Amino acid sequence: MINRAIDWLDERTGIRAAWRWTADEEVPGGARLRYVFGSILMFLFMQQIVLGVLLATYYSPSATDAWASTAYLTDRVSGGWFLRGLHHHGSSAMVVVTILHMAQVLLAGAYRRPRELNWITGLAMGMLVLAFALTGYLLPWDQKGYWATQVATGIMGTVPGGEPLRTILQGGSEYGNLTITRFYALHVFVLPGTLGVLLFVHLALFRRHGVTPPAELSELELKKKSQAFYPHQLFLDVLAMAVMGAILVLLTFWTHGAELFAPAQPASNFVARPEWYFLFLFQLLKYFEGPLQIIATVIIPGAATTFLLALPWLDRANDRRIKSRMPVLSGVALMIAAVVALTAVAMDEDASNKKYQKGLAAAHKEAHRARDLAHRGVLPRGGDAVYQNDPQVKARTLFVDHCETCHAIDGEGGDEAPDFAQYGSREWLRQMIRNPSDPSKFGGTKHEDMEAYPEAELPEAQLAAVVEYLTSLMGEQGGPTDATLVATGKLLFADELDCNSCHEVEPGESGDGPNLSAHGTTAWIARVIRDASQDDLFGEAADMPKFAKKLSKNEIQMLSRFIHSLRRGGEIEQEGGASPQPATDGSE
Amino acid sequence: MSEHEDTDHNHDADSNADDNAEENAAPPAKRDAKRDDLPDTMCDPPSARQVSDTEEDASRREFLKVAAMGACGVGLVGVAAIPGAAYVAYPLNHATTVGGTGLLPAGKLKRFKKGVPSKVDFFDDRVDAWNRIEDVKIGSAWVVRTEDRLLALSSLCPHLGCAIDFDAESIKFKCPCHRSSFSLEGKKEEGPAPRAMDELDVVEEGGLVQVRYLRFKQGANERVPA
Repeated sequence: MINRAIDWLDERTGIRAAWRWTADEEVPGGARLRYVFGSILMFLFMQQIVLGVLLATYYSPSATDAWASTAYLTDRVSGGWFLRGLHHHGSSAMVVVTILHMAQVLLAGAYRRPRELNWITGLAMGMLVLAFALTGYLLPWDQKGYWATQVATGIMGTVPGGEPLRTILQGGSEYGNLTITRFYALHVFVLPGTLGVLLFVHLALFRRHGVTPPAELSELELKKKSQAFYPHQLFLDVLAMAVMGAILVLLTFWTHGAELFAPAQPASNFVARPEWYFLFLFQLLKYFEGPLQIIATVIIPGAATTFLLALPWLDRANDRRIKSRMPVLSGVALMIAAVVALTAVAMDEDASNKKYQKGLAAAHKEAHRARDLAHRGVLPRGGDAVYQNDPQVKARTLFVDHCETCHAIDGEGGDEAPDFAQYGSREWLRQMIRNPSDPSKFGGTKHEDMEAYPEAELPEAQLAAVVEYLTSLMGEQGGPTDATLVATGKLLFADELDCNSCHEVEPGESGDGPNLSAHGTTAWIARVIRDASQDDLFGEAADMPKFAKKLSKNEIQMLSRFIHSLRRGGEIEQEGGASPQPATDGSE
Repeated sequence: MSEHEDTDHNHDADSNADDNAEENAAPPAKRDAKRDDLPDTMCDPPSARQVSDTEEDASRREFLKVAAMGACGVGLVGVAAIPGAAYVAYPLNHATTVGGTGLLPAGKLKRFKKGVPSKVDFFDDRVDAWNRIEDVKIGSAWVVRTEDRLLALSSLCPHLGCAIDFDAESIKFKCPCHRSSFSLEGKKEEGPAPRAMDELDVVEEGGLVQVRYLRFKQGANERVPA
């Protein structure tokens, strides 16, 4: 049955002859492990294509969608994190195996006549691998990709004649939709197509010239030990591919896939670092400043590339033995040593750079937060609109829109009403009692009746007790209190200081000043926002507009939570207790 | 060439012996790989007496290699294919677009006059894969107040989903696409529509009318949520 199907196919395509042509290729000197690198690269390229197509089924290449769609496919879609991780590490693997392949070619002298074009097409493909990495890095449109790629295109712009090139590449003078569509087109169509063509030429040339066997073996020995490509060499190739595949899978699990940082924010600063295989160029840049920069960006890399391209002609040795080719090989070794050294220095500098490490830790935290928020869906206005999902951010916007004309936070905003920095904290209460008419308290309002209590009238120790008592009135939202201090404070409040002649503490009772039961709690703040002029609150003297009809229930709740959170410096209390809370007030 | 034909032949003859070898394919295969790298005696021409033995060995080795290659190949394809299948099929068991399934406001009761259908658009937040789009139009319905009840009829024709119009002259709902027509209560009167207009849940509370907007499968005789 199968045979008949193959017969049918063979009659029309000549598939059997084609297979024999592939399979029966003689490998002079026999199959060897050192020939596997090209095949591993082929495998990696194929895998990258498959993974790339899979990623493209969820990814959307636009400045507004790229991050959100990447977050979606990474954090939501089944298996997405794994496939993206595999694609990400696959690019690193391609770089590593390209280097190994080159090293093997160099050691074997396989770049020499008549294989000069194999060498040159190979080098070109190596460059393309780097171009793949560079263009792919930007596509998630996260902070890291965005800023690292900015550096790369920035360098391009500083090179003589590079400015128009850069504008064309990024589709304008700044990053935007056109940058991402162009990088996407390059990464997904242009580069794979070009690599495919070069690969075809490379393979055709390889087939024409065959492997370059060890130089030590004589013609006779080579012939004697010759083996067919199938199954002997192919077996080693497939084995090596399997090892490569296993390494990638392990690496992907170990790293939990590829990183995705917070969405790109053009107005932020980010500790940008390129992918590890570009670190040496990044490091090189540190040594050449100002007009000398071109040495690091063009002259040195250009010279190195030219050297590699010209290698077949620079190599004047009579035979392929390593000993005979020491001059060119030591040149290459020097280059490799320089690259390794620069990479090591760059890594070491970052490892001991506290500022960088701190920035990186902050970036990871930010990434975590953004990706959490993305679960609710990101507003279509762009990746960084994800922060709009944060109730705190929304509340802050509400605050700016509705409250800031009169109220400030830490001096930012109007001064006609109290500043809400640390509002309701022990420190705020302390300052309030010491000087209620301070501009940051009620100085700008019509509430002028409360007297100040200077140190002479109210020693610090007594004040602390009153503040503790007031904090206890907030109930659970006030946090733990010192029972002895509360008792002392209660006595002072009721008797000695006579605070309760104006301030009631039983719910519902009205006095000349606001009722302080549950003051500063979210419910209390919400009541004030709805209508501050209620009898048991600020009464008729309140100038504050009634927001009950201007804002929705939800908005008022959000605002009151926000203002309450300022007590702790802005950490919002999650209803499920999801975010860790500091055990004590920042003011203590 | 002749070498290959020989090995192929031997392979067939040996297939019984090789049956149990497949399980052990990987470890011996590795040993073979090493052996292949040895440049010395292994590949020297065997003496006449040894020929059949080494040929058998060689063909067995080859079979093991092919089997190991097959196993590795399957593994390599599986690495991307298995998670890839789950990934592509994600929409099968996850909602990728969400929104507009709760009660949505249609307007005050006063607005709806007896016997005069009124078209109402519904707005809600909608999650479309990675995006959350606030307050978008998700659909519309004809709200009809009859003698004794309040009806909300989806404006989508149950036939192929065109938007149904109201014809005030004949007091009928008419689909402009394929000439289906429906009574004021949404009952099918003529045309290719397979069922009556889709009725939506209506809740009236404190003078406010709310509708639970849903979409239904087109072309089906029964009303099944899409």
